[in-house]
Amino acid sequence: MKKNYLNTPGALKIDLMLRGIRIDDPVVKAWACGSSGIDIMLPQNTPVNIPCSEEFTGSSPYIIKKKGSGYAITDGKGEVGVSLLERPAFYNKKTSTGVHFSNIGASHGSYTVITPSPRCDFFNRSIECKYCAGNFDIKGRDNTVYSVEEVIETVEAVLKEKSSGVIYFSIGFSDTDDGGIEFLKPYIKAVKKQFNCLVAVEALPPKENHWIEETYALGADSVLYNLEIFDKELFELICPGRAQLIGQKRYMEALAHAAKIFPNGTVASHLIVGLEPPGSTCQGIDFLTEMGVVPILPIYRPSKGRALRIEPLNTEIIIPVYKHLYGALKKKGISLNWVRDISMVTTPLEVRELVEGGGKTIAESFYNSKLGRKTAWGLSTLRRKLRVKDSKDEGH
Amino acid sequence: MSVEIDTRPLWLILSLKALRPAFFIALALLFWFLATMPTPEGLSIEGQRAIAVFAVCLILWVSNMVPLAITSLFAIVLVPLFGVLSKKDTYALFGNEAVFFILGAFMLAGAIMHSGLSNRIALNIMERFGDSPRKLLLSIFLLAAVLSFFMSEHAVAAMLFPIVFDISKGLNLRPGKSNYGKLLFFALAWGCVIGGVGTFLGGARVPLAIGILKETTGRTIEFLDYTVAVLPLVVIMLLVGYFLLTRFFPIDVEGVESAHQVLVKRLKGLGKMSYDEYAVGAVLGVTILGWIFLGKQAGLATVALVAVVVLFVLKLVRWKDIEEYVNWGIILMYGGAIILGTALDKSGAAAWMVNSALSGWATTPWTVFAVFSLLSIFLTEAMSNAAVIAILLPVSVGMADSLSMDPAIVTYSIAVPAGLAFMFPMSTPANAIAVSSHYISVKDMAKGGFIMCITAWVVFNLVAAFYWPLIGMGYTK
Ligand code: SF4
Repeated sequence: MKKNYLNTPGALKIDLMLRGIRIDDPVVKAWACGSSGIDIMLPQNTPVNIPCSEEFTGSSPYIIKKKGSGYAITDGKGEVGVSLLERPAFYNKKTSTGVHFSNIGASHGSYTVITPSPRCDFFNRSIECKYCAGNFDIKGRDNTVYSVEEVIETVEAVLKEKSSGVIYFSIGFSDTDDGGIEFLKPYIKAVKKQFNCLVAVEALPPKENHWIEETYALGADSVLYNLEIFDKELFELICPGRAQLIGQKRYMEALAHAAKIFPNGTVASHLIVGLEPPGSTCQGIDFLTEMGVVPILPIYRPSKGRALRIEPLNTEIIIPVYKHLYGALKKKGISLNWVRDISMVTTPLEVRELVEGGGKTIAESFYNSKLGRKTAWGLSTLRRKLRVKDSKDEGH
Repeated sequence: MSVEIDTRPLWLILSLKALRPAFFIALALLFWFLATMPTPEGLSIEGQRAIAVFAVCLILWVSNMVPLAITSLFAIVLVPLFGVLSKKDTYALFGNEAVFFILGAFMLAGAIMHSGLSNRIALNIMERFGDSPRKLLLSIFLLAAVLSFFMSEHAVAAMLFPIVFDISKGLNLRPGKSNYGKLLFFALAWGCVIGGVGTFLGGARVPLAIGILKETTGRTIEFLDYTVAVLPLVVIMLLVGYFLLTRFFPIDVEGVESAHQVLVKRLKGLGKMSYDEYAVGAVLGVTILGWIFLGKQAGLATVALVAVVVLFVLKLVRWKDIEEYVNWGIILMYGGAIILGTALDKSGAAAWMVNSALSGWATTPWTVFAVFSLLSIFLTEAMSNAAVIAILLPVSVGMADSLSMDPAIVTYSIAVPAGLAFMFPMSTPANAIAVSSHYISVKDMAKGGFIMCITAWVVFNLVAAFYWPLIGMGYTK
């Protein structure tokens, strides 16, 4: 290990996500059991979901161990105190129809992913993304569709726990012009009607731009069309479905249009770190930020039989990419407040410490508070009220 | 659902939103000022309040800050509230014949549209004139004008409306956006308005004016004399109207040819004329004859409503079928306008406005003619043309006498321009019907209509000065 990242939570988060963690402690083992990763809170309130069950984690220098009444992560040379993030209580509960809430929702720090249907039509055509089922638990041919009532019960349970303020709807590919927004419509409307929470939508780009306007008008406060890979050839190779049925060009058009419709900093797109050379990711960052889009950089987690990771890949190579992201966002004046406190990715705010030093500002702490969330919701709702034109005829 | 997102800066949107309450506060202050300022000499307190209500309604109608019908409801409420007219008189005015005539016309139009007859006629016209957008436009313009020579322009507008609407839909013209859509409905409205002054049959105002003339001076104007005197004005205004329209709204469709094949196909698809179409067509034909021959005695509204009853008796339509075609907003608007016009008339406000505007102006026969025709043409924009005649004619006939003018000429100076209402939907039902299509906005109509009003006034005065002497008519006795 060339560098010690234990004292810089942003860098440690990247290193932990890249290398994973070993678990010796039986309590933690039981804690992590069955999950895709273990949720830990690093210093400076930095949440992280660390891979612990994949093969590559076996060679990680990091071990989590019990220390006094808490826990610490050690790399053998030093250690840092951490806390285990409690498994949300709703994971153990069921809807009135008997569906486990955890089948519908998964919490990742400040937001909870809701998947009303885990189907993606790319699987039926054998053109699914090669890394799929890594980050989100989306299955292929599963035709399950959860009812609006089941989703509402889940969201109610999520919001009761007060850890997540953002409900993040995610759907896979369906061969419709609207990119799935018509399918999500009743869910978004019901959530917006019942709860005062922010809503993000992760979908595939619709064929026509007016669907993006509808997405905003419906109540989505943020939208994500995930490009995943900027390099055109690798995109075609790794995401054949996205390349054949949507195309990178349409992704760019849709993102550019969404950035004109949605508030500053709320249109985002994933670029997966580790599936293409870092230089290419940086080009993607520049391209997206130029349009006013926030690039989100999750780290690819190789799993058995899916060895897509470029080599060599280590934290020293990755950190400059995250620094580049921070610089590009600052340069373009794109707000950093929406993409924050997510355990699955290192957010631009967490990278700031690596570039400028210093912890969270008062404004950031406010945004994270209950009052801050209410304010964000209020402002977002007011903005929508002002921006969405009433199509009802007022004339005669 | 089709939504539009306003991407202008938020501060701009917020400021524009703040304009609305500011506008209404300013309007309330204006009303308060006009209603409470010291009453001018010669004006009653009721007249002063009527003017205040009139000013507020005129601003609301023009600005369209609330729907036109709601402004009318506002007028209906304010008139009795401020004691301009009694409650009983105000609401009774809503039962005016014109209101019921429009109601009947909408129902008839609904029946024609529902039977598919208007669709067939529209398709036939489009197919026949489908080779050029210009010809199609001209045909609607002339058709509206010529029909208005023989029957009330209101009825022509109501009859042609569904046809023009179907043509617009057939050409996929976007309401409010398409220039050609605007042109078609302007052609309909202005064709009716210009044609409507051509004969006695175009509306109730000329017979009303001649009635007043006969009552006060014993003189009259013959049917043919009137038409001969007015025809050059009609012809010139048709030419000017067509020229101005095509300049204001350059034709933005490549041609109607693209739709031609589709039209032929659709027309074939309609098959033979159905029993319902024949029957509705026959009822419409008889109604037109009724309007021409019985309109004066029985009243246009009576003829229209009898036709509606016949349609139901013959089971040609059901209430459900025509309910959606009745534009209740326009009916409310027209009712309110009549109440407002009557309030201005009965309270003496209109006469006061005429007197104060005229003192010092009307010194020679030529200026009397020019000023009364100007007043008539502008007042008719804001109030019913019959009310304009009722207000202006008695004053002008008196004034004509003192200047040794021919009272018949003065009658022309008011009765003809009173029909030339180009500017607002509340000016005449033809305009109201055209605006109800949503292809034309009130602003579009006010802009184009203003130029047409001025032009019509100039042309009318030139015709009076240079053409009338040729047919033995002059300003003086
Ligand atoms: S779009 Fe790709 S990543 Fe998303 S569910 Fe479908 S195959 Fe998986």
